[in-house]
Amino acid sequence: MAKPPVRKPKKKVCVFCKDKITYVDYKDTNLLRKFISDRGKIRARRVTGNCTQHQRDVATAVKNSREVALLPYTSTAR
Amino acid sequence: MRHYEVMVILDPDVEERAVSPLIENFLNVVRTGGGNVEKVDTWGRRRLSYEINKKSEGIYSVIDLKAEPAVVKELDRQLNLSEQVLRTKVLRPDTH
Repeated sequence: MAKPPVRKPKKKVCVFCKDKITYVDYKDTNLLRKFISDRGKIRARRVTGNCTQHQRDVATAVKNSREVALLPYTSTAR
Repeated sequence: MRHYEVMVILDPDVEERAVSPLIENFLNVVRTGGGNVEKVDTWGRRRLSYEINKKSEGIYSVIDLKAEPAVVKELDRQLNLSEQVLRTKVLRPDTH
């Protein structure tokens, strides 16, 4: 049996902590689009590499953005 | 007095030059209620991510204002009564 290759976990740094952004704006759809999948779902923290607080802020911003039709609840792609 | 951010989505059938008088008309509630309108930012026509009332476009406008909670509540109520308004959202940016 071949051993599963040992993968070195690359530590990602939260983009918001790095840029010292305190308020995630729900109007900034270009930024928020990086944190949703092509189906419109919010990406998990292990994918985005955000810290706990900023992941939560992003999620709230995406949800606010959905309410005003800036982002989709679901995309009908596929 | 609190700082509020109100986002309004207007019906796309409203004419471009009728937009700002319409919004000004709504904002009179704030002015008479002792509030202060700081900024009105009209984005113009934009595609909606999903249909609202069978409309696929909307005219977006973001209003920054300072007012008492009751005044904003009344503004929101009047906006929602209007046929030309598709959707509103009131947010307090400093709580986030």
